[in-house]
Amino acid sequence: MSIIGIAIGITTIVALGLITTGMEDSVQTSLNDVGAEITVSNSSSVSTNTGLIDSSIVEEMKNRTGVIDAAGGLTVTEMNMDRLKSRDSDSSSLATTVVGLAPDKLYMMGINDVDGKIYENGTRDAIVGAEYAEVNNVSIGDDITLQGKEFNVTGIFETGSPFVDSGIYVPLDTLQDITDNDGVSRILVKTGEDVNDSAISDKIEEDYENFTTLTSEEISSIADDVLGILDTATLAVSALAIIVGGIGIINTMVMAVYERTKEIGVLKSVGWKSRKILTMILGETLVLTTLSGIVGSIFGILIPEVGLRLFNVTDFALGYSPKTFILAFGITIIVGIIGGIYPAYKASKLAPTEALRYE
Amino acid sequence: MDDNQIVNENAYPDDEYIYNETFIGEDGEEYYYEEPLISLFDVVKEYDKGMVKALNGINLDIFEGEFVSIIGPSGSGKSTLLNMLGALDKPTRGKIFIDGIDLVKEKDLSQFRQERIGFVFQLHNLIPNLSVFDNVQIPLLPTDMSNKEMKERASEIIRAVGLEDKKKQRPNKLSGGQRQRVAIARALVNNPSIILADEPTGSLDSKTGELILNLLMEMHERYNVTLIIVTHDNGVAALAERTIKIKDGKIIEDKYNY
Ligand SMILES: Nc1ncnc2c1ncn2[C@@H]1O[C@H](COP(=O)(O)OP(=O)(O)O)[C@@H](O)[C@H]1O
Ligand SMILES: [Mg+2]
Repeated sequence: MSIIGIAIGITTIVALGLITTGMEDSVQTSLNDVGAEITVSNSSSVSTNTGLIDSSIVEEMKNRTGVIDAAGGLTVTEMNMDRLKSRDSDSSSLATTVVGLAPDKLYMMGINDVDGKIYENGTRDAIVGAEYAEVNNVSIGDDITLQGKEFNVTGIFETGSPFVDSGIYVPLDTLQDITDNDGVSRILVKTGEDVNDSAISDKIEEDYENFTTLTSEEISSIADDVLGILDTATLAVSALAIIVGGIGIINTMVMAVYERTKEIGVLKSVGWKSRKILTMILGETLVLTTLSGIVGSIFGILIPEVGLRLFNVTDFALGYSPKTFILAFGITIIVGIIGGIYPAYKASKLAPTEALRYE
Repeated sequence: MDDNQIVNENAYPDDEYIYNETFIGEDGEEYYYEEPLISLFDVVKEYDKGMVKALNGINLDIFEGEFVSIIGPSGSGKSTLLNMLGALDKPTRGKIFIDGIDLVKEKDLSQFRQERIGFVFQLHNLIPNLSVFDNVQIPLLPTDMSNKEMKERASEIIRAVGLEDKKKQRPNKLSGGQRQRVAIARALVNNPSIILADEPTGSLDSKTGELILNLLMEMHERYNVTLIIVTHDNGVAALAERTIKIKDGKIIEDKYNY
């Protein structure tokens, strides 16, 4: 009985610990660096589909000092109409980002390993991210419809960034052609080594008043901010788990020992010293909390794992770190001892006859 | 009430007792004042913040080796008195000395209980999730006996109360008489010099009750153990050398039965 009560407390701490650590991990990977150091976009645009940048600017960017390479990318959003109409609860996503990018510039998005073939300019070929392929059940050779036109999937890539891996990449000129656009929505800028990215990006903003730039340093500092917020949130959730779990454990221990007040009375009446009684309870508490710790950890792992599978969550993994388990065990043992020793101490201070009256 | 009780030298052949003074009695024999084993002075025990006066001014001396019965109606304070005599509780007012220990002042009576007291409770008070053997062995665990010695001693006493075949059983599998015998075995296992039994035969049929009484009286006769039995049965009370009648928390009669 007591094992169950304490195990529930540990389960809470472990499960929430795994989930919050998992959240931190997933944010960390989604904010992984991509190839280009600076991304230039039109600040007057609200969405990526309006306020495009003239293609000629791409060349200008390439010729700036410190810049090695620049590429224009056109991004459109492809709505999954079937999904909308059928109100199907399958896991395919509602909207997909389609990026037009020249095949030799894919590296700027961190796309280096492609299973299959990369498309060539002017073709109706596409490569898709591993995440997209898995969710939408697409494999090489399949046809997909983008902007009302058929495209043939020639390759599947994986970068490790969920944002990139859930997208589709097609030749820039093809996408410009079928969407009737000349411009690009972003310019990816690759800078040389040992150059100051932020100086270059500041200079771009100075020279083109409509443009905003984002350096990968800024992105990672945003990432740090997000992680910081998440860290605080994690801490809050952990604190909550510890309080909820801890109260459960204390409660269980207090009840378990309180029920034994009469037994403590018997022990005192036959000549056990209070200290011996407390030592016994302490020993039992350690055994009980350790057993509960094992049981609770197993359930703390099982419940979120089964939950993730049950709800088909594929883009999130629990974060296993020894910290979580050490914390859960530490809290349990400390809290268990407090919860066990305090009532035992009180009972051992009672006259044996009083302790014996408890039922 | 006399502070000292006159006793015959021959009743206590052991010379480890403290003899304060000798004098010649009316019959020309030599008598001794003996230091009592247990002394109560104006003991009052109140419960519920004074609403219940379980003991109301008890003065009593009990001597080493006596067999005393305490008799009285239900609720008269017998159990409360017995608990005081066995150092299981402290009085609200008054003084209690047991074997020279001031019960009111002394904080840790555990060693005294362990070495000298064997208590048979009215309600057995066996620990339900321990076997008969473990229940009996409990009082030995704080001693410096070896495991082997403890096992032997517990087994020996379980055999003496005739429960050898029930050693491994839980108390709830036993009959009332058997449980009472376990309680007695637990009380005797540490070779106490004072045995206190609270209505040990109360819930038993007369045959089993007799068996239990014989067991206790044998301890008294063989080892000169001080035996104090609470009862509401006149027949049981009459077996004792001395009978103390109590009513409403007061002693109304204290007499020797021969
Ligand atoms: N722990 C207690 N709290 C309150 N009242 C008690 C307690 N123990 C005994 N009493 C009361 O004290 C009185 C004497 O009780 P007790 O000594 O058990 O009597 P007896 O053993 O002669 O039946 C009774 O009125 C009983 O209700
Ligand atoms: Mg009673």
